[in-house]
Amino acid sequence: MSRLMGGGSMKEGGAGVFDLTPHKIAVCHLIQLFAPPAQQAVPFPFHSVAHHNHLGLFLFSLIRSCDDFVEPPLEELINQLKAVGGLASDWLSEHLMNSLSALSSPDDLFNFFDKLRGVLAAPEGANLEDDQILLDPNSQLGVYLRCCILAFNLLSFEGVCHLLTTIGSYCNASDAAYELPEDDDFNNGSELHEFLEDAELDLGTIEFQKYGHNFEAETHSGECSLLHLHAPRSLYSLVEDVQVSVDPKFKHDNAGARSREVVSSLNNNFRSDDNLGILRSRWQIEGYLNMQADFIEKDASTFSFNSFTTYLKQLQKLAPELHRVQHLQYLNALYHDDYIAALDNLHCYFDYRDGRTFQPSIFSPSDIQLGRYETALLCLGTMHCHFGHSKKAFEALNEAVRVSQQNNDDPCLGYTLAAICNLLSEIGIPSTTGIIGSPYSLGTSTGLGTPLSTRQQLLVLLKRSLKRAESLKLMSLLAFNRLALAKFDLKHVKRPLLSFGPKASTMLRTCPTSICKELRLSSHVLRDFGSDGLSLQTENGAFSTSWLKNIRVATNPWLKNLSKLRSSLSNDFDIFQFDAQPSPIPGSILQLAGASYLLRATSWEHYGSAPLVRTNALVYATCFADAASLTELSLAYAKLIQHLAVFKGYTEAFGALKLAEERFLSVSKSRIQLLKLQLLHERALHRGHLKVAQQVCYEFGVLASSVNGVDMELKTEASLRHARTLLAANQFSQAAAVAHSLFCTCYKFNLQVENASVLLLLAEIHKKSGNAVLGIPYALASLSFCQSFNLDLLEASATLTLAELWLSLGSSHAKRASTLVHRALPIILGHGGLELRARANIAVAKCHLSDTSFSISQDPSVVLDPLTQAAEELEILEYHELAAEAFYLMAIVYDNIGKLVEREAAAASFRKHVIALEKPQDEEDPLAHGI
Amino acid sequence: MTSKETYRCELRAAIRQLGDRCLYSAAKWAAELVVGIEPDAPPSSSSSAASASSRATPSTSSASRLLPHHRDGSSFRRRLRSGGAPDVTATPVAGVSYVSTPIPDDDGIDGGGAGDCYLLAKSYFDCREYRRAAHALRGQAGRKHVFLRCYALYMAGEKRKEEEMIELEGSLGKSDAVNGELASLERELSKLRRTGAIDSFGLYLYGIILRDKGCENLAINVLVESVNSYPWNWSAWSELQSLCTTTEILNNLNLKNHWMKDFFLASAYQELKMHEEALKRYECLMGIFRFSDYIQAQIATAHYNLRELDEAEVIFEELLRTDPYRVDSMDIYSNLLYAKECFSALSFLAHRVFLTDKYRPESCCIIANYYSLKGQHEKSVLYFRRALKLNRKYLSAWTLMGHEYVEMKNTPAAIDAYRRAVDINPRDYRAWYGLGQTYEMMGMPFYALYYFRKSSYLQPNDARLWIAMAQCYESAPLQMLDEAIKCYTRAANSNDREGIALHQLAKLHSVLGHSERAAFYYKKDLERMEAEERQGPNMIEALLFLVRHCKAEKRFEEAEIYCTRLLDYTGPERETARSLLRGLKTAESGFPSMDIEHFAS
Repeated sequence: MSRLMGGGSMKEGGAGVFDLTPHKIAVCHLIQLFAPPAQQAVPFPFHSVAHHNHLGLFLFSLIRSCDDFVEPPLEELINQLKAVGGLASDWLSEHLMNSLSALSSPDDLFNFFDKLRGVLAAPEGANLEDDQILLDPNSQLGVYLRCCILAFNLLSFEGVCHLLTTIGSYCNASDAAYELPEDDDFNNGSELHEFLEDAELDLGTIEFQKYGHNFEAETHSGECSLLHLHAPRSLYSLVEDVQVSVDPKFKHDNAGARSREVVSSLNNNFRSDDNLGILRSRWQIEGYLNMQADFIEKDASTFSFNSFTTYLKQLQKLAPELHRVQHLQYLNALYHDDYIAALDNLHCYFDYRDGRTFQPSIFSPSDIQLGRYETALLCLGTMHCHFGHSKKAFEALNEAVRVSQQNNDDPCLGYTLAAICNLLSEIGIPSTTGIIGSPYSLGTSTGLGTPLSTRQQLLVLLKRSLKRAESLKLMSLLAFNRLALAKFDLKHVKRPLLSFGPKASTMLRTCPTSICKELRLSSHVLRDFGSDGLSLQTENGAFSTSWLKNIRVATNPWLKNLSKLRSSLSNDFDIFQFDAQPSPIPGSILQLAGASYLLRATSWEHYGSAPLVRTNALVYATCFADAASLTELSLAYAKLIQHLAVFKGYTEAFGALKLAEERFLSVSKSRIQLLKLQLLHERALHRGHLKVAQQVCYEFGVLASSVNGVDMELKTEASLRHARTLLAANQFSQAAAVAHSLFCTCYKFNLQVENASVLLLLAEIHKKSGNAVLGIPYALASLSFCQSFNLDLLEASATLTLAELWLSLGSSHAKRASTLVHRALPIILGHGGLELRARANIAVAKCHLSDTSFSISQDPSVVLDPLTQAAEELEILEYHELAAEAFYLMAIVYDNIGKLVEREAAAASFRKHVIALEKPQDEEDPLAHGI
Repeated sequence: MTSKETYRCELRAAIRQLGDRCLYSAAKWAAELVVGIEPDAPPSSSSSAASASSRATPSTSSASRLLPHHRDGSSFRRRLRSGGAPDVTATPVAGVSYVSTPIPDDDGIDGGGAGDCYLLAKSYFDCREYRRAAHALRGQAGRKHVFLRCYALYMAGEKRKEEEMIELEGSLGKSDAVNGELASLERELSKLRRTGAIDSFGLYLYGIILRDKGCENLAINVLVESVNSYPWNWSAWSELQSLCTTTEILNNLNLKNHWMKDFFLASAYQELKMHEEALKRYECLMGIFRFSDYIQAQIATAHYNLRELDEAEVIFEELLRTDPYRVDSMDIYSNLLYAKECFSALSFLAHRVFLTDKYRPESCCIIANYYSLKGQHEKSVLYFRRALKLNRKYLSAWTLMGHEYVEMKNTPAAIDAYRRAVDINPRDYRAWYGLGQTYEMMGMPFYALYYFRKSSYLQPNDARLWIAMAQCYESAPLQMLDEAIKCYTRAANSNDREGIALHQLAKLHSVLGHSERAAFYYKKDLERMEAEERQGPNMIEALLFLVRHCKAEKRFEEAEIYCTRLLDYTGPERETARSLLRGLKTAESGFPSMDIEHFAS
């Protein structure tokens, strides 16, 4: 407590060290009852020492939570008391009520505090009677009492009058609430109470649980073993059920209502009591707002725009000098895609003098000014970035760079550079045009006299930002930069920056080791997050949000149910970090650490190691789900489901997808939706439902933004899929045209990794159209792209295509094809998906069959084994075309070796697949409609 | 004649009734108006004319002692009488027939116990003992009693609120002190309204309470009801006006056509920055209320807002002469004097209001203006702060204080001040402009653009705003010249007095290589400067460009004209002009020879 208090008093800046509220007076009164002066060891209402101690612990927990955002009303206090006090509870609450309502004049208050002073032991030296209970002035309770007494003494007469009126309303409010639902409440309450007693857990009320956690976290002594008892889960939920039935108005089964409900419950509290004493401390509101900001960033869809806005407006009315509210309004507007409101609120927030630091009286003016404007610009830039206004974002960020240089604000400069890097890597910029038009922006940094390409500029920027972050010890920025560097390395070949002078001989390849190094360094760096100068603020903020968790549990126990419903989504961190305890690691750090795993998954996807993709995605989904934003989490899920689709076929993938969809229902335009389209398209292509495939392609195109240079990934994928659909429909020239223009776009926007797959597609098109000679150069080009970017799996697939191309040139090339296939085989069998494996198997068989020196009768299994394998896998995928091919080959082989029964079976299967391919039965596809 | 007499009768009754209900400011307003009515012709009512003249004489003489230019003292009035609105005098209502509203009778409670109670309560109220007044009226059922009781309670609540606001001021700048009486008063008044047992004064009070509670639409309805049944309560009108924040609301009001409505509309137009319309209405009203100071002050304000400073100054001087202890709208006068840089007049004004009442926000603002004009910005800020302490919602003080902070190079404070002004009234384009300017000063032109956009959206015909925006676009970091050209064009089209836009347009076009268009704008700029008889470097620049341009276009004669004009200037330009002229001559003479050569070859 002392820590909290000390912090509080410092932050409050002397203005009311300790707000005296009716609740605190009630607690003081209870303390007085707990330790009445001049009494024997066990004072009157208590029947045993243990009983007495129960009250003491209860008081202690009350004090611990004395700085909660919202203080409980008297009614709740009395209910809690009943749970603790046992037989004496009636007497206690009666006494409390009476004496509180007896406070009717200022003099009564003065007398009350005079009497309180008697509870405290005299300072050392005074003679003590043995059997007297006296509070040690330095004990927790003693300090609390002294704080209250001091606060009272500091009050002016007006303050005393105010306190008196608030006490009056405190008692009356509870009276009203007390009488209304009387019998219901009491009955249930006592039932609950009895039940708890039966379970030998007389302390196990929910409220107490909360304080118990609190207590446990602080004390190390094991003297109060009762507090360490946790109610078993089942009991817990039973308690909740009872509570829920008591409060029918709290019945909500909408999972998304969690935060909104918290808001509205706070709202009610605000409304019910617009006198002072409900806004606890500025610090707590800050904490509350921070928490809301986190929520909104994580999952905006659970907030309804309007209700949150009205709530914020109300808060603003109550605390007009708390400009942080505007920041929340900005975030609210931003995540609900309201550009105008976001812009207005952003400017409004930063216009106020204490836009960044909120206590102008404490900080010197220079402190306030530091960083305010460049931060404003940085925010403006990221906002434009969010809305996809890349040009405006650049202007704003450039200005931010300029202003922070001007003001020597290095941290902000670092962050701004990082933001620019982010922008550069997110949006597609044609390499032909100079993006960053003005010479002021970045050119100064290089000073090389030669215009750098965008990518080179990005690299330079990243390095600079990294260096800055390192020198400033901004750990999270450092980690972010390392991640960005890894991302860059993954996709770009390093070229020497100097276009003149002695050139170091560089291999034109990406370097997986450097990526690995960056990724490792990134999470390594995060270990020292404590030394990050900027994390301090969030830490404090998090500390004062613990009360909110408290309220959540205390006032709305049904929330537990909700969170349990969602617990599959979030991980079980709660078990380790108690409800009342702030997470030891700030959320942003966790998020960054998680991002490194996601990036690892992506990089392995590129390098073609499916198991590692799966592991990393799994790690992310299980360990970082709490801190992750929904979009990132859905990305991890998407990767997992994709993995399923490739390795286990569509039925399983769609089952998983359905589950994921339910979870991410709220996220619009999400990865999951994208994934669904991808899966649908793949399946349609395999099954030969070309119309469906085309439709899905169109849907894909709609998802991407129409702005040039935005959503590049989506756009490339859309046209890639379009080309593949055309290919499947045997419209070779059109498919080639689409693929060709796609190649041009990729080249223009420097998307080299995508180029590899486009080239491979072109090779496939030529292969299918029967122009094997034309296809070979494309396959070779793709191969070399794959090699330079270390895209192993794609390389294997390109090799396979190459082999197929050679094969189709005639049996004289079978040998060459065979070596090629065998070269690719290890990686295909190790990491490839069903389709690739099947293709490889068929290719192996074909190589053998077209080899003139090979005779089937000698060893039919050499051909038959791969073919059966391929057929099995293709049946899982429902890839009719290839399956038919496999069965056809099998039938021929069986025919040759004279196994007629098997031949017939294979032929029947062949027939089945051919029919399925030619007459795609448009079965009702439930998934296709939900697009 | 008779109409004037009816105005008088109506107003006299209203003054009595308003005063009786302790609605002092409305009574004051009506009383000011009643003496503002032009006296009838001398024979019919000599007494009123005499009173008017007796009122005017001492003040004129005192003014003549104080003011140096007393000779043209009544010129304004004369002017108005002769040319200003003669037709208005003839037909004061210009075809509009007003709905005559019967003057309601007071409750007959003058005698008896109830009447005494009322008198007691009113005395308490006059001594600002509001709760006592309300207590004295407990249990009385007359409408007048009920009104005064509720009004007293409301005032008591307000007083307590003000006190609490100071007592409870916390670290959050908390202002959640509310008038504790609002809820109960609202309950009572809404019940009375439902039963129909409420008079127009009660409705007025109900309207205020509703506004305080944030039910603005209902408040508007109730206030409209109040002014329709009793139009002479100016306080009700001005509350209504403060609720009309947009023209849509104003146009949707269902108001009876009483002559008080004209006052209301005029003042509402003034607030909504429709100054011309306001001026028209006021001049109309001048036909009847010729000597009303209120109308004159409003007219002067409108002139000031239309940047017709001289006209406004004449009226303000006149006003001060007739009413030397006036503080209302003198802050506008001080702004005017500030703009005209009249040091001594401003100091005189400041001194006078200081002696009259130094704790009026207007007084503080005037003094602050004076200090600002003297360049003592710290002191100026001090007085603005005082003005704002007296009235937190004093819009112009926030903006002006922002200007002071800008002068003091304290940009964060300036931004803060401007932002507060904007938050009080988001339509205040000056504060938006100030914000933009401040950010531009700090080297954040891109950020500033947002604010300039806001201000030019609110005041689309103000060239200064467009020029400011253009300068941002033109600034070195942004270099968005096309956008800058668009803004300058806009500015040039909306009466750019300083002529910056034309010059810049010409310059930008020449930078971008559009020499034809650049020449066009240079010519226009030249014409403008000629018309305003201005000289300066811009002129030389324009001439130089035109000479070169014409030469390049081979329009030698035109080039020569410009060149000779350049010769009028001293300095290096003269030399350049000479050499250019020489070049022209040779080019001209060389032209035919070249032709000959051409033919020869």
